[in-house]
Amino acid sequence: MEILFILGITAALAFTALFVNNARTLGAINAFGHVVTAFFALKMAYAFALVGGSLRIGNIFYIDALSMFFILTISILNVASSLYSIEYIKGEFTEGILSLKKVKTYYALFNIFSLSMFLVVILNNMGMVWVAIEMTTLASAFLVGFHNNKLSIEAAWKYIIICSVGIVLALFGTIFFYHAVSSCVGIRTLDWTEMVSAASRLSPHIVKTAFLFILVGYGTKAGIVPMHTWLPDAHSQALSPISALLSGVLLKTAIYAILRFAVITNRCVGEGYTHSLFLFFGILSLGVAAGFILVQKDLKRLLAYSSVEHIGIICFGLGIGTPMALYGAMLHVFNHAVTKSVMFFGAGNIVRRYGTNNMNVIRGVSGIMPFTAAVLIIGAFALVGSPPFSIFVSEIMILISAFTKGQYLAAAAFLLFIAAAFGGIIFHLGKVIYGKRPEGMEVTKEPVSTKAAFVFLLTFVIFMGFKIPFVINKLLLLTVDIIKGV
Amino acid sequence: MTLYIGILYSGIILMALLMVTSKRLGALIRSFAAQSFLLFLVTILFAIKESSAEMYTVAFLLLSIKVMAVPYLLSKMVRRIKTDATTGPIVNPTLSLFIAMLLIYLSYLFAARLFPLYDRVQESSIVIALAVTLIGLFIMVFRMKAIAQIVGLLVMENGLFLIASAVSGGMPFFVEIAIFFDIFVCVIILGMFVYKINKVFTHIDVDKLQELKG
Repeated sequence: MEILFILGITAALAFTALFVNNARTLGAINAFGHVVTAFFALKMAYAFALVGGSLRIGNIFYIDALSMFFILTISILNVASSLYSIEYIKGEFTEGILSLKKVKTYYALFNIFSLSMFLVVILNNMGMVWVAIEMTTLASAFLVGFHNNKLSIEAAWKYIIICSVGIVLALFGTIFFYHAVSSCVGIRTLDWTEMVSAASRLSPHIVKTAFLFILVGYGTKAGIVPMHTWLPDAHSQALSPISALLSGVLLKTAIYAILRFAVITNRCVGEGYTHSLFLFFGILSLGVAAGFILVQKDLKRLLAYSSVEHIGIICFGLGIGTPMALYGAMLHVFNHAVTKSVMFFGAGNIVRRYGTNNMNVIRGVSGIMPFTAAVLIIGAFALVGSPPFSIFVSEIMILISAFTKGQYLAAAAFLLFIAAAFGGIIFHLGKVIYGKRPEGMEVTKEPVSTKAAFVFLLTFVIFMGFKIPFVINKLLLLTVDIIKGV
Repeated sequence: MTLYIGILYSGIILMALLMVTSKRLGALIRSFAAQSFLLFLVTILFAIKESSAEMYTVAFLLLSIKVMAVPYLLSKMVRRIKTDATTGPIVNPTLSLFIAMLLIYLSYLFAARLFPLYDRVQESSIVIALAVTLIGLFIMVFRMKAIAQIVGLLVMENGLFLIASAVSGGMPFFVEIAIFFDIFVCVIILGMFVYKINKVFTHIDVDKLQELKG
């Protein structure tokens, strides 16, 4: 039943936004609502971790450990993003960049966006999942084009158009799956539970083609190279709290949809097919992203390309496909979400203070915003995968699995590209954080709620480098079972 | 029955070809409305054949949204924006027509490989559905006016609708409704962005939106 509270509270927050007339109060209410939601998600996750199994509400919602893991990730990021939003939006409001009406629109859209992401991971009917994913695009498009200037409108237009075409291809794939089920088994359904139980009797021929469409279609939304072209634009132009959500969880919900279809495909044609596709696109994404990271000049675009790189890592893990690699890939979904949010929040503070995204201009953050600078240093090293932070754990799991499976060439490419990204990100951020501080800029006081968001996320980043919490560990083990089809 | 459906399908692909060759936005939108109307007739025929209330509902949704509301909104947009009303082609109509033919042939090859066991009628309907989708994609990629891209997206979705009804007799009812609603919202939002682009850039040529790169 908690799930209804989660959906209900998020929807209620979207409505509340229309009636509260104070930017800070509205932000605080929003953050409080998301803390409550996260509490319910945690309670639910705990119950799942203890007994496992799945939860069905009517034939509409189907929640198993895989869904639960994503619900937990989304709600944790919502807490962080809503905390960070309070002062960020308040600041833009005081400076007169946003009107009160825009502030209200922001919080309403924020919650519609969250709601649609929750829906993606709990709906049973894969047609409705498609609708929910399109809903995430439509809700976030306004948040990308929020400032109504040339750059943000261009980004938003590309975002909707490219993702809509992608998603049309995904619908194509969904229709093919539907066709396979109705012609081979004789039941006319798009419910995932029924599709999975019918999977072994489907025509392999059609399922293979259908999965290709799904991978390319939802892959567009996930930012897999070469369908990633909307991503750096949208992530760099969106408001920073939204960039964190886009990068942290939106991309992952598309991965979730691909995974659901991959489970069906694996049962039908064996694991080799999806594994080789994931591996190919994973390495391609890693390589291309590493190249763009090295030559990047724009701070937020740098982080956006790093998201492409991490999506590549996740795909790589899914492509290796041993239980340990899958565990690593799913853990990476969570680790990347929290770490990348830290980075986007930090970048958001910098961009607000310096008024530019250009890394050739931004210098000496450590002298102006000491707290943000400290957080960014930790975040940067965590992001590129150095120990003892959480991303190191998931990356090393994936890497070990690649070696034990005998995929030496793939593992070597993986290492090479990761090393390139490591160098690129540390080099660029090093210049930004240290360096000579521009004359006439004073030390800035950083608000408490923003610091709280940082501390909240860094707890996960640091703590999970040493120990994976019981709930998450259990959920991941169950998730691996679901993907493996045990 | 089969004859009527055959005629309607030919009409649908003909409209797609008309769209590829049209130089003006008005013509593009009118052909799109005509294509959607033919699609509506096909759905009505299926509904009569299977006498299902759900199919009738879908057909009337199609009529109200894709034949009336969307074309109306789009033409209003063209009038209000006062653009030069060309579709912004970067490939000329003759070559476009040739490419469209090629796309139809490709869909034929694809359908023959993927669904080898079908009878001729069903096979040709799959070919047409696929071709319409591909032509929609072609319009999106090779027409540079924002409004033309919206029409391209809608044409792709027309193709999808056809595929769904050709290969498996339509998607489940609620999914179909939800998809219609989604498309409608999508067009409205895209429309709002067209106005924004026009306001900020004073044109709607999307190939000139190229400040973000790298």
